Amino acid sequence: MSGQTQIRDSYRPPFRVDNSEETILRFPFPFPEDNYMYSMNIEPHVKGGPVEAMSHTFDVDEHYIGECAEKARILAEDPKRCMVLPHMRDAEWDFLELGMDSLSSDYPEHFTLKKEGNDWSWENHLLNISQSFVFGDAATLPLAPFEYMARQMQGDFTLHDQRENDLWMDGGMVTSQADWSLKFDMGMSFRQWHAPVPKASEMGIFDRGLRFLLMLQYGRPVRRLNWTMTINPRLDTSPENYMIWGEDRASVTAENVAEKVHLRVELQTLYRLPRSNAVLFAIRCYLMPIKDIMTVPKWRKRLHRVLRDLDPALASYKGLDLFRPTVVEFLRPYDDGAPLSSGIQSV
Amino acid sequence: MAERMGFPTSIERVERLTPTLRRFVLRAQKQALPPVSPGSYATLEFGDGEKVYKNAYSIVMRSEDGLELTVIVRLAPQSRGGSRFLHEKGQPGLPVWIGSVANLFPIVKTARRHLLLSAGIGITPFLSYLKKMRSIGADYTLHHFCRPEERSAFDALLSEQDQTRVFVHTGLPSEVGLADWLRDESIATHVYFCGPEGFMKWVEETTHKLGFAPGKVHSEHFFVPEGGRPFEVILARSGRRVSVKADETLLEALELADVDAPCMCRGGACGACEVTVLGGQPDHRDHVLTEAERASGNIILTCVSRAKTDTLTLDL
Ligand code: FES
Repeated sequence: MSGQTQIRDSYRPPFRVDNSEETILRFPFPFPEDNYMYSMNIEPHVKGGPVEAMSHTFDVDEHYIGECAEKARILAEDPKRCMVLPHMRDAEWDFLELGMDSLSSDYPEHFTLKKEGNDWSWENHLLNISQSFVFGDAATLPLAPFEYMARQMQGDFTLHDQRENDLWMDGGMVTSQADWSLKFDMGMSFRQWHAPVPKASEMGIFDRGLRFLLMLQYGRPVRRLNWTMTINPRLDTSPENYMIWGEDRASVTAENVAEKVHLRVELQTLYRLPRSNAVLFAIRCYLMPIKDIMTVPKWRKRLHRVLRDLDPALASYKGLDLFRPTVVEFLRPYDDGAPLSSGIQSV
Repeated sequence: MAERMGFPTSIERVERLTPTLRRFVLRAQKQALPPVSPGSYATLEFGDGEKVYKNAYSIVMRSEDGLELTVIVRLAPQSRGGSRFLHEKGQPGLPVWIGSVANLFPIVKTARRHLLLSAGIGITPFLSYLKKMRSIGADYTLHHFCRPEERSAFDALLSEQDQTRVFVHTGLPSEVGLADWLRDESIATHVYFCGPEGFMKWVEETTHKLGFAPGKVHSEHFFVPEGGRPFEVILARSGRRVSVKADETLLEALELADVDAPCMCRGGACGACEVTVLGGQPDHRDHVLTEAERASGNIILTCVSRAKTDTLTLDL
């Protein structure tokens, strides 16, 4: 990650989010094949992978400061974006430990953690935070442990309690979601949460996915990619704010499509937390405008093919109907139909 | 392949609790062991030059600093060797590899009251429960059942606990009135039980008869895979043949033949070792598969189940 010391990005009008070439090339492009079908596509979250974004436990990139500032702003406007039920106390500490341990070992130039027994001291050089506290004693932190840590990480996080052979969303901080809401989904089981995806439940995908996640083991996290499209670089496309972002969808024209339409990719990683036996679901969102995807020939051709041939039910579910034809039309001249290598890497 | 997962430890102390129960304290060799949630088990790998054993045991305790882990091992009469080896050769200094830690029997954190029922070695998961429940001020009661000659050992094991909440009985559950106590519990109570098969069956039937909702009844079967008739498996992808001896499990035979077979609990409880059966008839001995899955005959859990036919063809 290139050094960045001030807030440069704006995820609200007037929008301004610039991706360096490095950021474009490390983007987790979500389509390994020319055809897209919904699947659980879960693989071990091991360091290293087809793109750079997968090479750390939690990915930190050049938008770190901007995203943390946007998160703080959303939380100030709507504190209910962060909720944790009381029985998830141990999971909060598990999360804080995982966050601090992995950030400080993956990015020692930005984060420092010192431990002496339960006396910990944490430094976040990017956000100018330095804090000494007693691990396990919430009174020694300025915020509850989960909120404290989640504010210092890019992406959304939900905590799931495991009981009755299901995973229950009993906590989370959600500020950069694709049209779902923590307020509505708090306390939901895995099955209830996934119910809206067309066809997938018929195919038994969730039963298998759930069975797999119930067996998720400590120290063996897994990951998957999910995607949709967003107009303008808005991190926060929550149902509560639909009034604000919903009409963006009708604003796409042949002239502005490359600027306005963004491929929105979620790098989802799942971890078993050791003290609580809870499952942490981390959802890291990447927004890449068509104009930046255009710079990678393989990706622009594949995106054209995937969008052109997408199952209409899935396209509607993802909310693409108003602008998909415009995007396909725009990309068509740049796809020569040549065969592409399978996999998501850029060449 | 991924690096070998797990943690190297060695036996630090051994204590004899009864003629058949021994407590082993393992000490981490390199980094501290991860924190564990109450009800977790660890898969331990140990042995001598001749044979490697892999068995899962409930974690009784992890020390605050993460350097020590305690398990209690029962000398199983039908043991295929693992617990016998530990009882006979498990001396301080013996290396023990902790392969995986997982929890198939967690405390239900949303429950308002917990009733814990155990018999014999079935107490082990509850030793970790008790510590947690006490520290968070939960409402709980433990009834433990054992033979008269083991009473003092269990009394000692529980001596540090809140004596108004733990009870040791030497009579059978049906004799001491457990059914009545269960009847007196409110519908919000969650019941957890662990012990030998006969005990498990009695509690299962009694709670069912008394109308406890399935979601409020939790059990962990202590299952030591037993041997049986030898058989042969054909690995469809390579055409290789692997024979499974009378005193080894299908999973062990596959591992010995260097087949990359999935597994986790090694005791028929988690479902991770599921493999597709292409031919032959499985002899199911697990607690995971549904009746329909069992009847279909096309999947098998390799850690405990065997074959009714002389050969079994697997999709491996
Ligand atoms: S490994 Fe858990 S059921 Fe076989």
